[in-house]
Formats: sequence, C-alpha cells, structure tokens
Amino acid sequence: MNLPSIGQIPSDVVAAWIFTIIVGIVLLVWLTKLKKWPVVFEYMRTTHHRKIGTMYILFAIIFFFRAGMDAMLIRTQLAVPKNDFWVFQGDKYNEVFTTHGTIMIFFVAMPLLIGLMNVAVPLQIGANDLAFPYLNAISFWFFLAGGLIFNMSFFMNSAPNAGWTAYAPLSTDTYTPGPNINYYILGLQVSGLGTIFTAINMIVTVIRLRAPGLKLSKMPLFPWSTLVTSSLILVAFPVLTIALVLLMFDRFYGTSFFTGEIGSPVYWQHLFWIFGHPEVYILILPAFGVFSDVISNFSRKKVYGYTSMVIALALIGLLGFMVWAHHMFTVGMGPLANSVFAITTMLIAIPTGVKVFNWLFTMRGGVIRMKTPMLFALGFIPTFVMGGVTGVMLAVAAADYQYHDSYFVVAHFHYTMVGGTILGAFAGIYYWYPKMTGKVLDDKLGRWHFWLFLIGFHLTFLPQHFAGLNGMPRRVYTYTWADNVFIFNAISTVGAYLMGISMLFVIWNLYKTHRYGKKADGDPWDGRTLDWSVASPAPEHPFNPMPKVKRMDEFWYRKVNNKGLEYADDPRPSPISVETYQPIILAGVMIALSIAFIYLWVWLQVILGAGVLSFLVIRSLTDERRQAYREEERS
Amino acid sequence: MNQSVSRELFGDKRLGFYIYLGVEAVMFATLFATYIIFTPPSKGVTPTEAFDLRSVIMASVFLLPSSATLLIAEKGLKDGSRVKVWIGLITTFVLGAVFLGLEVHEFYKYAVHEGYTISMNNFMASFYTLVGLHASHVAFGLCWMVLLMLQLKRNLPSALFNEKQKIFNYYWHFVDFIWVMIIIFVYSPYVF
Repeated sequence: MNLPSIGQIPSDVVAAWIFTIIVGIVLLVWLTKLKKWPVVFEYMRTTHHRKIGTMYILFAIIFFFRAGMDAMLIRTQLAVPKNDFWVFQGDKYNEVFTTHGTIMIFFVAMPLLIGLMNVAVPLQIGANDLAFPYLNAISFWFFLAGGLIFNMSFFMNSAPNAGWTAYAPLSTDTYTPGPNINYYILGLQVSGLGTIFTAINMIVTVIRLRAPGLKLSKMPLFPWSTLVTSSLILVAFPVLTIALVLLMFDRFYGTSFFTGEIGSPVYWQHLFWIFGHPEVYILILPAFGVFSDVISNFSRKKVYGYTSMVIALALIGLLGFMVWAHHMFTVGMGPLANSVFAITTMLIAIPTGVKVFNWLFTMRGGVIRMKTPMLFALGFIPTFVMGGVTGVMLAVAAADYQYHDSYFVVAHFHYTMVGGTILGAFAGIYYWYPKMTGKVLDDKLGRWHFWLFLIGFHLTFLPQHFAGLNGMPRRVYTYTWADNVFIFNAISTVGAYLMGISMLFVIWNLYKTHRYGKKADGDPWDGRTLDWSVASPAPEHPFNPMPKVKRMDEFWYRKVNNKGLEYADDPRPSPISVETYQPIILAGVMIALSIAFIYLWVWLQVILGAGVLSFLVIRSLTDERRQAYREEERS
Repeated sequence: MNQSVSRELFGDKRLGFYIYLGVEAVMFATLFATYIIFTPPSKGVTPTEAFDLRSVIMASVFLLPSSATLLIAEKGLKDGSRVKVWIGLITTFVLGAVFLGLEVHEFYKYAVHEGYTISMNNFMASFYTLVGLHASHVAFGLCWMVLLMLQLKRNLPSALFNEKQKIFNYYWHFVDFIWVMIIIFVYSPYVF
C-alpha cells in the first residue's frame, strides 16, 4: 500500500493501525460512559497481589488474541499448496512466525502463570501479600512495558523476523539490518527484568511468609511448583539477559561475538538454550502445580504421593539444566556430547511419569466432579503424555537428525506448551476466577470452550506430526502438491480455526458472567486449601486473624469436622502495601529508553537512563517502611 | 520495645537481596565464560601484550581495602556511633572513586592510546563487557553511597537506616568479590 508522505506500507500494518485506533476509541468511550475511570486509576497505582495478578492475566489474554491472530494467518497461508494469501510470504511470513512464537512464550504463557501465582500463592500459604508489594507492581509494569515495546515493532512495520530463538548470525546486523531485532532484544530485556523480580518476590514469600505451622512439607503443590519455577528463573533469565546484551553489542557497538571470522554462532545457541530449556520447565511446572490442586479438589481426595510429587518437581527442575544441548544435536557437537544430552533428556520422562501416575491415582476412588477446571485437567493428561512421548522420540539423537527443524518438532512442542501450559492456565483461570473477581465463570460456556479448544487442538497438531515425518520443514511459507503434505495442512488449518472459535466462547463467557452471574461466596468449589477460607474476591490483608495450620489441607479437615480454623496469637508482621504511580511511570520511562536504544539516539539514552536511575533515588527517599518503623520506635 | 516489625521486614529484604546478588552472580558468570571461551584470541592483540601488572595491582590496592573500611561503618552501626559510620562511608567512597578513576584510565589507555578497540577481537570485546559491567557496578555503588550519606543526615528511624546501610554493605562486598574473580580469571593467567 502506498500512503502519501509515509511511503510503502504493507496493507496488514495499515489494517492493524485502523483496527487499533477504532478499538482504542471504543474503549475510551465505553470506560467514560460506564464511569469506570476510577477503577482504572485504582489498578494503575495498586500494589495488591490479587489486582496485579488479575492485570497479568488480562493482558496475557489480550496478547493471546494478538499472537493467536498470527497463528490464524500462518494456518491460512499454509492451508493449500502454493498459496498466496494477503501479504504473508517471504520475509513477512518470517515476521509472523517470529512474533507468534515470541509473544506466546514471553507475553502469554509467562504472564498467565505469573498472574495465577500472584493471585493464588499468597492466599494458599496464608500470606497477606507478596513479600515486596512495590516490587511486584514494578514486575508487572515491566512485563507490560516489554510487551508493548515488542508489539510496537509491528506497527512501525519492523517486526522481528529471525524466529523466537533469534539464531545468530541471522540475528546480527550483517543479515538483519534495521530495527526489527532491536525490538526483540529490548522487549525481552525489559520484561525479563520484571520476571526476575517476580521470582525473587515469590521465593521470599514462600520461604518467609507462610502461616504459622504451615511447614514446607505441608504446603499445597501450586506454591511448591512456584518455588521450584522461581529458582529456575533465577538461573535461566540472567543468562538470557547477558546473551541479549552480547547480541546488542554485536548489533550496536561493532563486536562480533556471534558472527564473522572470530565469532561463534554456536555460542549463541548454547547461551540461548541454557536459558531456553529451563524456560520450558519454568512454563510447565506451575501448570503441574495447578493440575495437582485442581485434581485433588475436584476428586475430593488429597493428592496421591505428595512427597514423590515434590521430589519429582525438584528433579525436573534440576534435570532441566542438563538438557539444553538436545536442541543442538545437529550442529556437530560430536557423539559423546550428543549421547550425554540424549540420556539426561530421557531421564526427565521418569519424574514426569511419576507425576502423571500420581494424578491418576489421586482420582482413583475419588468423588469426581466434572466442572470446567477439572475438564481441562482431564484433557491435559493424555495430551501432555503424547507430547512427552514425542519428546522421548526427539531425545534419540540419531533419530533427531531426521526430525530436526521439521513439523514433527512443531507438533511436539505445541503438545507440551499448549497441552500443558495453556490448558493449565485455563484450568487455573476457571478455578481461581472467583478469587479474582468474585464471580464463577459460566460452566456450560466453559464446557463449550473446553471441547472446541481440545478438539481443535488435536486437529491442528496431530497431523503436523505426519507432515513433519513426510519431510515438511518448519518456518516455510509454502509447499507444493508433490510434497504430499496437503491433507495434513488442510486438517491443521481447520483445527486452528476451531481453536480460534473456542476463544470466542471465552469472551461470551466473560460477558455473560459479569452481566448475569451471581456473586460467589468464599468457597464455591468446596475447596481444601487456605485460599478458599477467605472472601471472594480476595480482600487486602485477608488473614486477620492469622490461621494456624497443623496438617495438609487444614481448611478441608476443619470443614469436614464442622470446626472453624484455629488462629495464631502473635503472627509475624505483614508486608506494607502502598498506593503509588511510581511503577507505571517508571515503566513508561523504560519504554522511552528502549526506543532510544532501538533507534540508537544516544543523547536520549543518556537522559532517559538518568531518568530511570532517578527513580531509585525517589524510591529510597519515599520508603513506605519509614512510617512503620517510626511507629515501632515510639511504641 | 517490640522490634518484630523491623526485624521481620528486614529479614525479608535481606533474603530478597541475597537472591538478587545470586542473579547478578549468574550474569557475571556468563560473562566470565564468554571471556574464557574467546581468550586468548586467534588474531589481534593478546592479553599478554595488553595487560600490565602495575595497573592491576594499583586498582586492587584501592578497591580491596574498601571492603575493610566499610567494616568501620558496620561497626559504627553496631556501636551506635555516627562518627564511625561517616568515617567508614567516606573512606570507602574515596577508595572506590580512585578505583573507578584508574579503571577509566585503563580503558582509555587501551582504546585510545594503544588502539585496542572493542571491535578488534573477542578478547577485547569480552574484556570490555565484563570489566566494564564491574566498573559500572562500582559507579552505581558510589552513587548509592552518596544517597546513603544523604539518608544519614535525614534522621530516619535508626532501624530503617541500619537496614539501608546493611543492604548496601552486602552489595559492596559482592562487587569486591567480583573484582577478586576478575583478578583470578581475567588478569592472573596473563600478567604473571
């Protein structure tokens, strides 16, 4: 499309601008009409874990629709051989699969899980808030800033185009000049910082803020998975940070770490996967935690093999660091390295298998209620097992030479990431929705969502195994009739549309629930853990008085025996919450600073960098602990 | 007097900051790995040619004792002596500032006088990123100390100032520890 005074712009970018402006105006009018602005401002300055968790999930779902659009475009382009759909060929196609992958991992899966952690973990362990409420707000606004930076690229017609793994040397300035990859680097850097802060927050909360008597050995499995996941984040994300810094130096400042005569492209792969493989366990372990709690709740039984569940979580976390090179079997590391990484990879199937059997045994003999969260858990088990089996197949290094970079791999990781993480996130959202908003999502529409999504999912990704085995490589924008993969791709496209339709039921459900839904009480699922002992939606500082815990699922056993919770006399002081606009303003400055880096405006980098640092000074001078400590001094 | 609020909240903060230092340690470890992988380089200047023992020793003479002078400030907190806190902070600041000056001078010497620029080879590139990140930590620490002195004049609740200074102490000792690692892995294989 040739626009006056702007130049050649692809028509999809123009369409996105128009769509966004219209939606933006509608949203502004709607908010004004319903007089919702005070609520918006309240959320902008909040540091409360439930509100921040809700915002995480809200924006994750918005990004889910954004990256889901990419998926629809990909599947439409691939529906028939030699297709020429809209503009999505060649480099434009590279952009679409890059933004699809990156957004889905960093701006959908991560915030969905972190959002659930925010909502549920403090409530499940009897903490009145996360240990550092202010830092938590920073984490959220950094995530959103990163997401906005990354998505801005598309509107500037320079979406990243080197795949979500940004392999060098393709991602260096020699082969991808222009700002595209800069957006990728800065977007991930800012949101990654937020993730690291969240991990610190979660660990301190779980270690130090549990209710009196709630030992680690009696803690529900979702906080356990949060603890393990956060520890993985602490080791994995700093490596990504440095890898991105080095890539930035290659692109901006003339070094050649990953390219040229003296650089090493394989070193990028090592760094990326030392981050990237733990990352996929970071994404799956919280989902495991959700399923453990959901299955136990809706089977009215305590989790089978609790100790082995915890050990399995820890083992998966530990082994997760020893498998990164299985993404690199074909780069020529040699037979010894390949064998070692093949074996460690296969070992992970053992603790995962333990968990699968424990979930099944948890249900055995239980009183099973088929509510929507439980349906997602039941759909997860066979789906994830299939993803696990193809994972073991891929771990066979010799066979991987055949599978590598084919649609078989695409099918495999969608079975684990969608079949595990996304189904887990849906289960968690339906399960904790009352705690977030005070209403239970409609069960009937939830069922529609579940069945359409699950059937659509298998229709999409099961055929991709066969397309891959027939030799279809990933990241290609077309294929021919002679390639013999048409039928698989056609079914896949139908399935993708079915998944898209299922997500419309989510929107319908949200509308119906909030329009007609009744207010939920504190314990709508007849729950077992402490989160169900407080009101819905969870109030600020709900554990007052502080419950005392003697065994696992204390709330449940007290309830069954018709007794109330016992309360502790002298609980530790709670974290101090504040209301402040500082985090959101800081995130705004971070966005501006990132743009200064993306377009290499040095003077702006200096000014805005000083701006970011000045927030640390402001923070130190306006410390909310001052008041509390002053009172303590007087007493 | 019930001290449980400041004690518990400081405990949270301390654990959080320890974990954060762990995160930083992973970042530095990645840069150390990068340095080790690319050094010595296949072309361009080698570390034996670039480094000289004297400047390493000079820099260390200023930075390493700063961890010790900071202990004076820590002692001051324990004894409730503001004078000791001031002495400790100021001497630490001066030592850190001289160290930073020497670092800047070393970089300037390499890049401008000798022509060993960041794009010359990956030894120089990883040297600049690693040692540069450390130097920026020192610079950050210096600004932090200025802020801390400001807070000391502001008459905060003593528990709050203690907390702020202790967190800074952990940071500064960590930065010193990284310098020891730099001496061991970056300089010592090539200057002796």
